Amino acid sequence: MSVLELKNLSYIYSDGTEYVLKNISYSFEKGKTYAIKGRSGSGKTTLLSLISGLERYQEGSIIFHDKELNQIDLDHYRNTNIGIVFQSFNLLPHLTAIENVILSMDISKVKVENKRKKAIELLKKVGLDEEKGNRRILKLSGGEQQRVAIARSLSYNPEIILADEPTGNLDKETEDEIMDILTNLAHKEKKCVMIVTHSNNVAKQVDQVFELKKTN
Amino acid sequence: MYILKNAFVSITRNKGRNILMGIIILVIACSSCITLAIRNSASKLVDSYANKYDIEATISMNRQNMMGNFKPGESTQEETIEKFNTIQTLTKEEIEEYGDSEYVSSYYYTASISLNSFTLEKATEEISSDSNMPDRGGVRNERMESGDFTLIGYSSYLSMSDFITGNYTIIEGSVSEDFTSNTCIINSELATLNNINIGDMITFVSPNDETITYELEVVGIYSDNSEESITDMQSMYSKSVNTMITNTTVIENIKELDDDLMMNVNPTFILTSKDVIDSFTEEVTEKGLSEYYQVSTNLDTITSETESISNVSNFATTFLILTLIIGGVVLFVLNIINVRERKYEIGVLRTIGMKKSLVISQFVLELLMVSIVSLLLGAGLGSILSVPTANSLLEKEINSSEEQMNSIGENFGKGDRGELPNESGKGFDKMNMNGVVKIEQVSSIHVAVDITVLLQMLGIGIILTLVSSLSAMISIARFSPITILKERS
Repeated sequence: MSVLELKNLSYIYSDGTEYVLKNISYSFEKGKTYAIKGRSGSGKTTLLSLISGLERYQEGSIIFHDKELNQIDLDHYRNTNIGIVFQSFNLLPHLTAIENVILSMDISKVKVENKRKKAIELLKKVGLDEEKGNRRILKLSGGEQQRVAIARSLSYNPEIILADEPTGNLDKETEDEIMDILTNLAHKEKKCVMIVTHSNNVAKQVDQVFELKKTN
Repeated sequence: MYILKNAFVSITRNKGRNILMGIIILVIACSSCITLAIRNSASKLVDSYANKYDIEATISMNRQNMMGNFKPGESTQEETIEKFNTIQTLTKEEIEEYGDSEYVSSYYYTASISLNSFTLEKATEEISSDSNMPDRGGVRNERMESGDFTLIGYSSYLSMSDFITGNYTIIEGSVSEDFTSNTCIINSELATLNNINIGDMITFVSPNDETITYELEVVGIYSDNSEESITDMQSMYSKSVNTMITNTTVIENIKELDDDLMMNVNPTFILTSKDVIDSFTEEVTEKGLSEYYQVSTNLDTITSETESISNVSNFATTFLILTLIIGGVVLFVLNIINVRERKYEIGVLRTIGMKKSLVISQFVLELLMVSIVSLLLGAGLGSILSVPTANSLLEKEINSSEEQMNSIGENFGKGDRGELPNESGKGFDKMNMNGVVKIEQVSSIHVAVDITVLLQMLGIGIILTLVSSLSAMISIARFSPITILKERS
């Protein structure tokens, strides 16, 4: 079942000289993992920005549950419907792992009776115990930070998980662990997991690969 | 609610930045508190001066007008003197008429007369001045024969300005509380010369008719402490040696016995405010005050008294404005730096779906929390520092007014001011006595930092915080989260 659909999506730089994305059409479904591949400059990150609602597109459309993405509240979309995991984690360093997850729940206004308990559960789900959960972000390793980022993205139970090079800063072993987590999220919890990646190893582990090519 | 929690966590986890911000706000708050306290205290002091000094209007000879009529070559000096002598002195009825005005809250007057005495020997010396009649703006009558002694009558304690200012001090006996009694107070030098004691009777006689006599009981002896008398090294006696003090009723009674006696009457009108000076002048002119008289007031004296304090207030205001401008600029710059430093945090918060307005709210809330704590600390520190500063400005005033009030009582021979009688049913020390300070009023402004100052400071602090956080608001509103995160990557 399609959860997100790209229809003739185009994106042009603000100076209007060059298309980054041109007439992209694709359909993403729940319960599957997708790898968005492409060479540098092919528009992977731009596509991620558009799908995550961080930027607005000029041509074509992105349909989320029959709604045009450009016409909905993107802040609400980001804190409710889509969880984003970045290569550089993008966690708040002055907070602990648990606090980062709770903050995300606060922003999404998700109704949870005990947010701390829920945060600990989520962290355990991605392989972090409570002791590590009480550490400040900078006291955690790269792999652990990425797990926190995944736990944070799951805190409001979104339908789509969008990961931008989630294993880019990690070693091979940790990469596999993170990929296991993401695959499980798709297959067991029926999330739509999109992974922007360069890695062939990652691409091998997903259900479908969507390759972007340079427009010029 | 989570915004508040998040703001609090952010403050506690970023101590260095917030302590720096707090110190700057504390310094601004402290200096603002001191300047506000000084400014408010100075303003109150100016107000209290305005309240404690009544606007007094007196009617005196307009010598300029008189001399304007004297034209050399056209009139001789004798003719001018003759003309001068035709000018009628003010009468009690005229004073009552002028006093009956909406612009006048009360009035009093003194009356003086010149008499001889059978029982007293005049204090004279070869080099002393012939005239012992003080110049009080009155006019000599051509029919008047000058006597040896001057009898000055006062209508109330308030009119006895020489005792209030300390020029005269009772050294034995006291001023009679009954301003209709046949009593008088005599100069100590004259008393010594004539061996006069309290309780003795003095018989005065009209210089025009020796059959007209008047008897007064001596109830007090005063000394003349006026600078004029003390510094007059050429005179053996003080200027007032032949001057006796009594009440206006006595003077009027003597005048009734001998209508030819010249009586000088000097009124003082207490005006309702400084704004009515011109109206009062117009009114008395319409009521028939001669062109040879003029109305003068003590407004210039009052203004000059408050000028230095007003300057302090103005300086404090200028300093406050400068402090706020400099403080505001520093805070503004710090906020810009703060937002730049926290750009990444803003990007993350925006990425995970926090609305711009909430991010702005959190940043402003953080600044407000730091500001309020710093403002309270600044107010506490400022009040500690400002109290001695501001009060040192007032201390002299309070001490001098208290000393002045105490000495007034002594001048009247009443011990201290607590023993002074009430006038017209009012407490004596609450009354305005020819420039004497109201103690209660001055004491009440002794507190330099009050609730007004605190509220003003809080208001200024919050406005300053909000204005300086404008930079943060604008920056956050303009930031694109994806741009921030790309820069970071």
